[in-house]
Amino acid sequence: MKSVVTTVVTAADAAGRMPSASDLESVQGSIQRASARLEAAEKLSAGFDAVVKEAGDACFSKYPYLKQAGEAGDNQGKVDKCYRDIGHYMRLINYCLVVGGTGPLDEWGIAGAREVYRTLNIPTAPYVAAFAQARDRGCSPRDMSPQALAEYNSLLSYVIESLS
Amino acid sequence: MLDAFSRAAVSADAKTACIGAGEIASLKQYIAKANTRLDAVNAITSNANCIVSDAVAGMICENTGLIQAGGNCYPNRRMAACLRDGEIILRYIAYALLAGDASVLDDRCLNGLKETYIALGVPLTSQARAVAIMKASSLAHINETNTETQMAESNQMLQQRYNKMATVKGDCSMVSAEAASYFDRVISALS
Repeated sequence: MKSVVTTVVTAADAAGRMPSASDLESVQGSIQRASARLEAAEKLSAGFDAVVKEAGDACFSKYPYLKQAGEAGDNQGKVDKCYRDIGHYMRLINYCLVVGGTGPLDEWGIAGAREVYRTLNIPTAPYVAAFAQARDRGCSPRDMSPQALAEYNSLLSYVIESLS
Repeated sequence: MLDAFSRAAVSADAKTACIGAGEIASLKQYIAKANTRLDAVNAITSNANCIVSDAVAGMICENTGLIQAGGNCYPNRRMAACLRDGEIILRYIAYALLAGDASVLDDRCLNGLKETYIALGVPLTSQARAVAIMKASSLAHINETNTETQMAESNQMLQQRYNKMATVKGDCSMVSAEAASYFDRVISALS
C-alpha cells in the first residue's frame, strides 16, 4: 500500500541503508498535513449514509432515463447497486484520507473499473454526476475546516478523473 | 508493506466499513507522538554500529566457544556475516518502528529467517541473545539511559566526546514499548 512512509522505507531498503535524516524529514512533512486529512475522514464517516444518498439521488435526477426499461437502473436491485458502488468509492476516499495517498483508491477502486463497467454496459457519466454533486455540496466551515475540505475535494476530483 | 495508517485501511476494508472515530483517535495518537517516534528511530540509526557490535561482542563474551576453532564466529568471514546480520535485523526493526507496523519486519526479514539459520547451522540461541542485547541497548539509547549519558552528566571530558542526541526529554514510554515489541517479535521468530 503506497503511502509516504512505505515509499520511504522501500527506497531505504532497496539501498540497504538505515532511514536517513531526509527520510525522517519527509515522514515528518506528511505527518504535519495529517490532522486535516483525519478530520475529513472522521467527518465523512460520520455523515457517510447521507453523503452517499445525496450523491446517488443526484445521478438519478440528472439522468432520469436510467430508470427506463432496458437501461442500467431499470429495477430496484440495479438502483441499489448504484448506491452501493458510490458507497464503495466514498469508503475508499475515507481510506485514502487516512493513508495520505491514493493507494486504496488505485488498488481497490480504479484498477480494472473501466473494463468492468464496459463489460457490464454501465455508463460512467452518472457516477461522475454523483461525485461532482458531492464535491460541489461540501461547504467550509459548515462541514469541515477549509484544509480538510480541500483534501476531500481533491480525492473526489481524482475519482471523477478516473471515470471520465 | 503497511504502515499504521494503511493497516487501518486494510482492516476496515476487510469489514467493508469506513474508518470511524475510534480508529482515527488511535491514529491521532500516532501523529501526536510522531516527533518522539522520529527521535527514537534517529537514536537507533545514529548508534546502529555501536548497538550491533556491542551486542555481538556481548554474545561472544558470554559464550567464548563461538570464536574458537569450530565456533560459529571463528574465521573473520563468519564473524563479519554475524555483524552484518545483526545490522540487517536492526535495520528492519528501525523500518518497523518508523512505519508503526510490523509488516515490513515480518515480510522482508523474519519470513523464513529461522529456516535459513537452521539450514546454515547458525545457533539460534546465540542469535536470539544478540537480539536481546540489541533490544536492551536500543531502548537505552531511545530513553537516553545509556551508560555514556549517565556518566557524561558528571564528566566534562565525556560530554564532549560522546554522541549526545540532544533531544528534549519527554515521555518515550509508548514508543520504547513498541520498539521492545519488535525486538521481542524477532526473538520469538528465532525460537
